[in-house]
Parts: sequence; C-alpha cells; structure tokens
Amino acid sequence: MNVTLTTRAARSVTRRRPGSRGSLIPYLLVGPAVLLLVVFGVLPIVVAAVVSLTDLDIGGLGNPDTVRFIGLENYQQLFADEAFWEALGNTAFFVVIGVPTIVGLSLLIAIGLDHSQSRFFRALRSFYFLPAITAIVAISLIWGYLYNSQFGLLNYLLGVVGLGPVPWLSDPVVSRFSVAGVAIWRATGLNIIIFLAALQAVPREYREAAAIDGAGAWRTTISIVIPLLRFAILFVTVTTLISWMQFFDEPFVLMKWPANDAMSASLYIYFQGFRFNEFGFASAASLVLLAIILAVTVIQLRMRKLNDD
Amino acid sequence: MRTQPGIRGLGATLIASALVFAACGPSASSTAPSAPAATTGSEASNAPSSAPSASLSGTTVTVWTMEDATKFEALVQPFVDSSGVTVDVEAVPWDAINEKLTTAVASGDGPDVTQIGLSLLPTFQAADALEDVTDDLAAHPALDSSTFLDAVSADQLSPDGAVTSVPWVADTRVLFYRTDIFQEVGLAGPPTTWAEFIAAAEQLATRGEGQYGYYIPQWDAPLPIQFTWQAGGDVVGADGKIDLDTPEFKKAVDLYTSFFEKNTVPTASDFDQTAGFISGAAPMLISGPYLASAIKEQAPELDGKWAVTTLPKDVAGTALFAGSNMGVWNGSDNVDGALALLDFLAAPETQVAWFTATGSLPTNKAAAADPAVTADPNVAVYAEQLADAKLLPLIPQWDQISAAILASLNEIVLNGADKAATLETLNQTVADLQQ
Repeated sequence: MNVTLTTRAARSVTRRRPGSRGSLIPYLLVGPAVLLLVVFGVLPIVVAAVVSLTDLDIGGLGNPDTVRFIGLENYQQLFADEAFWEALGNTAFFVVIGVPTIVGLSLLIAIGLDHSQSRFFRALRSFYFLPAITAIVAISLIWGYLYNSQFGLLNYLLGVVGLGPVPWLSDPVVSRFSVAGVAIWRATGLNIIIFLAALQAVPREYREAAAIDGAGAWRTTISIVIPLLRFAILFVTVTTLISWMQFFDEPFVLMKWPANDAMSASLYIYFQGFRFNEFGFASAASLVLLAIILAVTVIQLRMRKLNDD
Repeated sequence: MRTQPGIRGLGATLIASALVFAACGPSASSTAPSAPAATTGSEASNAPSSAPSASLSGTTVTVWTMEDATKFEALVQPFVDSSGVTVDVEAVPWDAINEKLTTAVASGDGPDVTQIGLSLLPTFQAADALEDVTDDLAAHPALDSSTFLDAVSADQLSPDGAVTSVPWVADTRVLFYRTDIFQEVGLAGPPTTWAEFIAAAEQLATRGEGQYGYYIPQWDAPLPIQFTWQAGGDVVGADGKIDLDTPEFKKAVDLYTSFFEKNTVPTASDFDQTAGFISGAAPMLISGPYLASAIKEQAPELDGKWAVTTLPKDVAGTALFAGSNMGVWNGSDNVDGALALLDFLAAPETQVAWFTATGSLPTNKAAAADPAVTADPNVAVYAEQLADAKLLPLIPQWDQISAAILASLNEIVLNGADKAATLETLNQTVADLQQ
C-alpha cells in the first residue's frame, strides 16, 4: 500500500514536470490583479507612509521645495490631540453598537425570509435590499427630515401618542444612536442577501435528517443551520467590522459641521485632510487607523482559526 | 456626493486621485458661445473701461465659478462678442471647490480664472495657486483698488502688497426680524443696540413653549467674530497673530452665551433657521441676503411681515464682509485674456447686470450705488451694512481656529463647560495652531 502511494505520488510529479513552460500561466493570470492591487492598494499606502513623515500641506503641494521631513512629529501631535482620541472612542462605540446588531439582525431576517419562496417573501426581500441601493444623499435628506426636531415626522408621531420630543440629532448621546441606526438600516440589506445565499446552500438532506431525528425548526436552526453558516458569518463580521471602523457616510451627511458628537475617526481624517489641507497629519492619522483595522482583522481571523482547530 | 475615503489612508487616496485627475484634464465644461444672449440689459455691449486688444481674439479663457453657469455665460456674452475670446465656464459646487483646488494644485492643471470664496482666499494663496497681477493692474483701470468697496481694498485683501485676486461679489450679515411678531409683543422697532437686542430676544421668548427670541446657528463661525468687532475689538493682534485673550472677545462670548443662559434661543443643532423664521419660532436672525431669497421663495405670503436692518451696535455695528474674489490661476497660459475678463467682470455695467440676474451684491463702488441696485429697500440695508463690514482674518490657519472657537462656544452653551477654563484651553489651542 505504501508502495502504491509513493508511485502514485511520483507519477503525478513526473506528469506535472513537462509543463514547466506552462508554469508562467498562473503568474500571468494573477498579474493584472496584483498590478492593480499594487498600484491602487500598496503604492498609496507607501506614499501615505512617506507623506505622514512630512509637513505636506496645500502650500507644499504648490511648492514641493517647502515640504520638510519632520520624522514622527505628526504622530506625536496626533496622539496628543484629544479630538483624535474622542474620534477613536466614537468609532469604537459605533463598532460595538453596529457590528453585532448588523450581523444579528441580518441573520435573523435572512432566516425569516428563507422560510418561504412565496411572492410576498420575494417582495420582502426587495424591500430589505432597497436601503442598500439608495443613494446616501437621498438617505440623509429623508432621515434628516424624519429626525428633525422642529418638523420631523418621528417627533410628530411621538407627540400623537403623547410622548415628548426626542433630540434625535442634537443630543450628544442620542445623536450617536440616531446616526448608527441609519447606518444599520442601510447596511443590513446587503448582508441579508449574503446570508440568504448561504442559507440556500445548506443541503436539504441535513434538514431532513434532523427532522427524522425529531429536531424541531428551532433546534435545526441552532444546531445545523447556524454552524453551517459560520463562513458567511465570519465574512459578514469581518467586512462589517472593517467598514464600521471606517464609519464615515452617515455622520458626514447627517451631522451639521462642526458637531463633534458623532465625529468618527474617518471623519476626523477627512476634516484634517480635506478641510484643513493638512495632508501630512491626515496621512499619519489614516495610517494609525489602517494599523488598528489590520490588527483587529488579524486578531479576528486568528481567533477563528483557533476555534476551528 | 463624496464617497468614503478609503481605508488605506486619505493621503494616499489624495495622491492617487491626483494622478487620475491629472490624466483627465479639464472636462465636462460647457462652452460660452452657445449660451443664450444676456437678458440683463448689458447686451448693449458697451466696451468695458479698457477694451481688450485684438490679439486676444481666438484665445480661450477657462473659468471656474461657483455661480450658475448658464447665467454666468450670459453675463460674459458681451465680452465674448467684443473680444473674440472664448470663455469656457466650468461650474464648481461650493462643496467641491477645496478638493478641486487640491487636485489642480497637485497636478498643475488649473483654469485661467477662478472664483475664490473669501474664506478660501488664504488657502489659495498658501497653495500659490494665484498669479501675482500687481504689475498688470495699471493697464486695467477697472481693477484698481479704489474702484472697489473699502472692505475689500487691496491693502485689506493683501497686506503684503501683492495683488493676487480682485473683488467680484459682496455678501454681508444683517438682522432679519418679523415685524408682525414685534408688533404683537409690543416692540416698537428692531433693536439698534446690544442691550435692546438682548431685551427684544427676552420679550419675544415669553410667547410660550417652543417660541424663541433669536437663533444662533451652531455652525455660524463668523458670529462670535462679528460680536468681537462690535465690542470694539479685533481678533488679530498687533503682531498679526490671532489673539482671543482680549476683553472684547470675552465680551462677545458673554453676549453669545447670555442668549443660551436666558433660554431665548433654541439649542437643537438641527434647528432650521428659514423654517424657524417663517413659523415665527425664531423671529430674529442674523444672516445674509440668501436668507431673504429663501424666505421669498418658501413663504411669499410672509411678504410685508418681515424686514432687515443693520446689526445691533455695541461700540460699533460691524458685520462680516463675505463674498468672492476672482483671480488668475498661477500658470495660466492666457494671463492677458484672463485679465481682460476680470476687467470686464469688475466694470460697473457688468456688476449691475449680475446683480439684476442673480441678486449678488456688487463690489464695485459705482455699481453698489447704482439706483438699479439700491431701489430694493432690503438691498439698501445690505449696502449700508457693507459700508461697515470687515473681512475675517486672512491667514491659512483661520479655518482651524474658527472651528476651535465654535467648538469651545458650543461646549459652554450646550454641554455646560466652565467658561473661563474653556476659553483658557481655546487660547492654548489657538497659540499651538499658529506656531
């Protein structure tokens, strides 16, 4: 038996060898993707890393001679800036609120939608997906009107049932929840689709086997379906986490500048870079954010691996 | 609108987009000749003060403007006809001008003429984006500093003497008030002093729940500066640096916070001032002429129930001078054509025509005094206020300083921060920003 295995292995090696000319093909195939990644992914990071060590601002852009290399000064200044820590704190708050809610809610809705293929459920699917394909400007306008403290619909409805007005976007604490709420509403659509696809890939036999063993719908979902969804859950968690650590759109369009209450790390970088034109400083801040995101993602993938082992 | 800046860093995105845009060049611009003829009375095509030389004929001048492109094309039609210069108008939204500037500076690919909001002038100058036209002014009498309103004379705009832009349109702040509500609560007329201002706000706020006297927008950065000027001070110290450690600034802060202490202003950050003025919730507002247009458009039935007046005085009644300049892009290959266009735009006839077309206030003295402009009683008030109006400090760090001032004031009035301690921190921040 050992002999057979060895010969079979040897044969397969010899069979592959004549194709040495063909070994270029894989590189050619991944080449364009790698090139794009390097040009638009790696190179900008390298440029940002270099820029973050300089005092590049709008003047430096016009006159490159005036740009000075200032070492880690930008980073020192950044870590000394209370507003940056506050922005990181806000981002952490959004991540803690948003990510579990999105993963949980999307999964729940997807499982619900998976129950039936009827026309009604199909319509519901489109309904849940709508926010994901609506332009953020339209979303901000509509939610801005809903939340408005003077003439907003939400406060009007609260008034109808006899409840006092809520300062949706003006109270520092409430506004964070309001902004996160819109973002959650907007992000669930896509994730529901991902979960639905994964749910439909669960082999029918497993469910049947579980049913024969006497498992109810609840039991089947908990013990069979959800474990089978773990890659979809991992994927959704990782992508949601990354996008929430870069949380930008909703606070940008909903909060009136310069309200700091919902200032996320990305928004902070945006203001430093594109309002105040402090490109060196903003690059330093964005590299710090990149490092945090990388660290969190790596930890997450590691933990996943440990769980699997 | 804007998309999310990537994970991989804004600096990086910036450079990458600069590269991309560099390859694109100016695009999506409409050309002037197809524009409809001016309907503003200026099509008599009377040549501006110095007719452009024939050699310009056939050249092109690209203009970046935040104005309505169609109206702007109509405005410059007489110039196009008389000079033979093609004017390529590219409309840039206010929101996008800073990104546009950054990209153009990075790529070196800009227009010939650009409109510059006065608040962005220091940024344009820091970026070295504007051509120094000091020596060319002699050939263009319409661009002479003396023809423009005093607040935007050359020594105000460029203390170091180099002229890099010339005034285009003016904007200021006046007091809007609801005459009907004033009458209702027994106020004889609009407040003319700070004391009357405070008293009027208090009286108006007694009308009940949800009714206020005045509204302070939490994003109105020039407001505390105006109050400082009115208290007789300035935010720029003798050494040219921003200094907020003055009795006048403290007085301004006291006025600002007093409205919140007495609950005469709404505290909601999303309070809509136009809606508030129309509903009567905020019957006094300090705002610009754009608010008058908004009210006329949204509530024509309110006509006759509101008026504008100059700002209440303490030591002075100084208001903000806002508006836009026009400048020649540094690196333009048609500086002569650009200057000829600026000359045309600064001419009194053009400025009056532009006022007629858009309601934008002229910066040319003769145009500002033209009966066609001052006939409207509101505009007469704007003109009177413009005579006592001042530019915000023209230093590159001003945006950051002004954001810090607003943040500090909001911290005090909304979150109850200690006034003295907050101002102390603010002074430190301002000093740090100017190192």
